[in-house]
Amino acid sequence: MADETSSQVNPALASLPKHALERLQGLREAGQSGGIFTSDLSVNEFLMVREAGFEPLGLVVGSCIYHVGIQYGSWGQNQELNVISQAMYQARELAMSRMEQEALTLMADGVVGVRLEVKRLGWDSDILEFMAIGTAIAHSAGHPGFKGPKGMPFTSDLSGQDFWMLLRAGHRPLAMVMGSCVYHVAHQGVFKAMGNVGRNVEITQFTQAMYDARELAMERMQNEAKESGADGVVGVQLHEGSHNWQPHVIEFFAVGTAVKPIEDKALIPEPASPQIVIPVND
Amino acid sequence: MSLLGRVLGLNQDPDRQRHQAEQLARNQAWETALTNQTLPDFVKQRLADTKSGKLPWVSTGSVGAMLSQRSHGIHPLGMVSGNCWYHYGYSWTRGHYDGWHTAIDRMQHEATLMGANAVVDVKMSATRMEGTGEDQMDYAVLGTAVRIAGLATPRVPVIATVSALEFARLMESGILPVGLAIGAHYNWHYSYRNATGQGSWWNQELRELSDFMTDVRRAALSQLATDAARIGTGVLARVQFSELLRGEPLEQDPRQRFLGRHIAFGTAVLHEPRRHIPLGLRPVFSVSDGKMTPVMPTEKEII
Repeated sequence: MADETSSQVNPALASLPKHALERLQGLREAGQSGGIFTSDLSVNEFLMVREAGFEPLGLVVGSCIYHVGIQYGSWGQNQELNVISQAMYQARELAMSRMEQEALTLMADGVVGVRLEVKRLGWDSDILEFMAIGTAIAHSAGHPGFKGPKGMPFTSDLSGQDFWMLLRAGHRPLAMVMGSCVYHVAHQGVFKAMGNVGRNVEITQFTQAMYDARELAMERMQNEAKESGADGVVGVQLHEGSHNWQPHVIEFFAVGTAVKPIEDKALIPEPASPQIVIPVND
Repeated sequence: MSLLGRVLGLNQDPDRQRHQAEQLARNQAWETALTNQTLPDFVKQRLADTKSGKLPWVSTGSVGAMLSQRSHGIHPLGMVSGNCWYHYGYSWTRGHYDGWHTAIDRMQHEATLMGANAVVDVKMSATRMEGTGEDQMDYAVLGTAVRIAGLATPRVPVIATVSALEFARLMESGILPVGLAIGAHYNWHYSYRNATGQGSWWNQELRELSDFMTDVRRAALSQLATDAARIGTGVLARVQFSELLRGEPLEQDPRQRFLGRHIAFGTAVLHEPRRHIPLGLRPVFSVSDGKMTPVMPTEKEII
C-alpha cells in the first residue's frame, strides 16, 4: 500500500521549499546553527507571526533573583506594603529589561508572547525569582516602523494570533506595561468581629482594602502606558496573588500591552472583520 | 518455585507452565533486542503485517485527521512508540537529554520498519513509579506512523508533535516539522560572599545569582539551537523548565553551593525564512456556548 501512494503526485508538497526536501533526504548537510532560530511559539503562533509579515529570530530570556527587604506595617491598618510593592515591580522590570537587551542584540523589532513568571525559592522565603521569556521577531522587509519606545524593541504578552489581529486592527504594540501593589488588609478587632456574628453586613474595611490595592495597581499600569506614548492598553489582566506571604497580604498585579495606531499608512494591512459562525459539531 | 506452590500442586497446571515459559521467552527476546538496538521478532512481525495490510491500520488521530488522507495523501499506518527507563547518575539534566533521545530513536526505528516517512501526533510522557527511587524515570514517546504520498523516504522518519491535519496545513505553508530538539544544561555555583542577602533589611537584587541563572539558561538554549540545527532551520520550544536549588556545603569547602538547571523541549522545523505563503485567513467568531472543540491543537498538544 505504501509504495502505491508514494508514486502519486502530492500537491501539498509543491509548496515545500526545495532545500527542505533535499535536506530531509540527506542530500544536503545539516548543521547551520548560525542561521537557526529558536522560539517558544506554538506551531500556530509561528504560522501567525509569519502571516503578519514577521520572522522569529530567537528566544530571549531575562532573569532576576531578588531579595525582598523588611517591611514594617501595623497589624490593624489597611496599607500598601511599599517595600514589597517596589521589590515586586523592580525585579520584574529588571527581568524585562534584560530580556529586551537580548532582543536588541538580535536586532529585533520586538518581542511577542512574553511570559512573566515569579517563583519563590524553596530554601529562602525572602528570595523571589523572576523570569521574563519571549520570542524576538523582526519585520520581514526590515521596515523600521514597528520599533517600541526610544528605538528599543517593543514588548508584548500577546500571542501570535493576537499579534496578527492587532495589526489588522490598525494598531501596533509598544510595550508590555504593568503595575503592582502589595497590600496589607487590616485585621478586624475582636469586638468588631463579634459584633457581626449572625448579621449580614458588608465589611467595608476589607472592601476598601481590596478596592484601594486594585486601584493603585491599575493607576500605575495606566501611567506606565502613558509614558510609553501609547494610545491604549489591550488584553489587560489583573492577577491577585499572595506568593506565600503571611495572611492578610495580597498582591494586585495589572499587566497588558500598550498599543498605538500604526503611523505609516502603507504598513496598515487590509481590515479583517470577523465572520460569525455556528459550529454544528457540539 | 515456592514450597507452598509445590504443595498446592500449582506448578503441575499445564496452562500455568505454558504461560510462564512464554513470558520467559518474551523477556529474553526483549533483553536481546534492546541490547542489540533492535526489536523482538514478534514486534517486527506485527509491524510488517501492519505495513503489508494484513493487520488493520491504527491511528491515534481524530476522525477529522482522516480527512487529510484524501486531501493531502497522509495515510496512517500504525501506532509506534519507544521508551527508556533511565537512571541519572552524575547528571539529571544529561539524563533527560539521553532518556528522551533514546526513546525517540526507538520510535523512529519502529516507524522505519513500517515503511513510514513521518510520525505525527507524537506525545511525550515521563513516568515515575513509587518505590523505584527519586533518581530515575521512564521517558516515553508515542505517535502514529504515516506514509505521506510523494514525500521521499528520509534516512529516518520525520517526527512531528502535531496532528495529521496540522501537518498538512504546515506543509501548505512551506513548513515541514521534522523532529524534536532538546536543550538541557546544569551548573554549580560556589560563593564566598553572602550571595543570598541573608539578614539584609533592604530590597536588593542578588546579582551574582541572577547572572549565574542567566548563564545556565543561555547554555541550555544554545544547546537547544545546536540540537535543532542537526535537523531543522528553527525550533519552536513551547516547554521550558528551570530551577535554582541550594546545596549543602561540602565538608572541606565552606562556600555556599547553588545548583541551577534549565531544560527546553521544542519542535524542530524546516522552512525558508522570508518566503511566506499566505494562509488566506479569515477570522471567525463563534456563537456557540460552552466548550468548543478546537480544530487547532492547543498549546499543550504541541508537546
